[in-house]
Amino acid sequence: MPTKSDALLGCAPITEKPGIDRSMRVAINRARHGKQAVAFSNQQAFDGAVAKLVQTIPVDAQVAEWFANESLIPLVKRRWKKILLNPAVLSILLAIAVISGVFAYRVHEHLRDFPGADKARRLLSVAASSRSVLLDPLKTDAGALSDLFFMKYRLEHYDIPAEFADFRTLGSRVFDDDEVHAVAQIWIVEKRMQLFLFPAEKNPKDGSINDFSDWRFVELEGWTGAVKQRNGVCFMAVIRGREKDLTPYLEKKKQ
Amino acid sequence: MTGDAGKAQEAFQDTVREAALRAARDEPPQDRLWFFRDARWRCIAACEEGIQAEPGMLEEADISPFAPMQIGQLDPDQLGVWISAAPDPQRSALALFYLDEFTLSEMLAILEIKAGEFAELITSARRQFQAWLDATVPYEEPFDANQI
Repeated sequence: MPTKSDALLGCAPITEKPGIDRSMRVAINRARHGKQAVAFSNQQAFDGAVAKLVQTIPVDAQVAEWFANESLIPLVKRRWKKILLNPAVLSILLAIAVISGVFAYRVHEHLRDFPGADKARRLLSVAASSRSVLLDPLKTDAGALSDLFFMKYRLEHYDIPAEFADFRTLGSRVFDDDEVHAVAQIWIVEKRMQLFLFPAEKNPKDGSINDFSDWRFVELEGWTGAVKQRNGVCFMAVIRGREKDLTPYLEKKKQ
Repeated sequence: MTGDAGKAQEAFQDTVREAALRAARDEPPQDRLWFFRDARWRCIAACEEGIQAEPGMLEEADISPFAPMQIGQLDPDQLGVWISAAPDPQRSALALFYLDEFTLSEMLAILEIKAGEFAELITSARRQFQAWLDATVPYEEPFDANQI
C-alpha cells in the first residue's frame, strides 16, 4: 500500500512554485536524496516534457484574446488567515495563550501580596479542613479572648480588631504550626467565620516588621481571608466565599 | 478535456457567460477556481453524448529515462486526443496537472477528490502513457560504431 509520501510524490509539482505545502516539500527532498532518486528524476523529466508539449497546444485566437491582458491564474499569496489556520501555528498560539494566562494569573495573584500572605494562605487551608469540634468550646465575645491568649499562652498583642470584637464565639484553640508558629484560632457564630491570630512576617533583610492598618485579602480554593497587621501580629478573618462576602464586616466599624 | 476544439470553446464561452450573468445579479463567482470547476463540468456534460472510456483498460509500463525524447516526437494534438480519451476524473486530473498552473490543493478543490486518489490517477496515467509511447514512438538508442 503506498504511503502518504509516495502519494505526494505521485503528484509532485512539475515546476516548484512558492506556496507548496511543507509535506510535499519534505517528500520531494527525501525522494531526491534517497533510493527513489532515479525513478523520481525520470518522473520529473517525463512530467516536464508533457507540460512543455501541453504549452504548444494551439489556443483558439478568440479565447486567447480574452486573456491577452489578464492574469487568469494569479499567483496566490499566503494570506494571514491561512497562516493562522495552520495547525502548527494554532498550536503555538494556543500554547502561548495558556502560558500567558497562567503567568498573568500568577502576577495578578502576587500583585496584591503582602508580607505574611503565604502564612495567611496556609491558614486558609487550615480553616478549610477544620471542624468546630476540634476547638475548645468557649461562648463569649471574641474581643474578650485577647486576655485569655495573654494570660494562658503568653501571647502578646493577640488582639481582636474592633470590627470582630463583639461577635459571639463557638470555640477557640492555640496551636503551634511548623511554618506559622503560634496560631490562635477562633470559631464565631456569625456566618461560621473563623478568626486567626499569628505572628507577622519579618523582613528577611533587616528583621523589621512593617504593620499595615488597611485590610488585605488572600484567596484559596473558595476561601477568602481579610488580613490586618498590628503590633507585629496578624489578624485574619476567614469566610467560605468571596471578598464581597467579607467586605460588609470590614466596613462595620466605619459606620 | 473534450478532444474537440469546438466543444471546448463552447464550454468556455458558456462558463464566461454564466459568470457574467452571476455578476449582473450581484452574485459573482466566489473564487477563480469557480471558472475551472464550472468549465470542467460543462466539458464532462459535452462529452457524455459520445463514447465513454472505461478505467483500467490500458497497459502500463515503467517510466523510461528516454520518455522526454519520445514525448518530443509527439504532435500536441496526439497528446490532446490521448488525454481526452481518458475516463473522468482521470481526464480532468491530467488536464489540470499538466497545465502546470495550479497547486495541489487547488486541483483537489476543483476535482473534489482526495490527494491519494489524485496521485493514483496521475501515476497510473503516467504509466499508461509510457506504454502508449513505447508502442507509438519507441525510442531507439543511437547506433555506436565503436561498440562493434
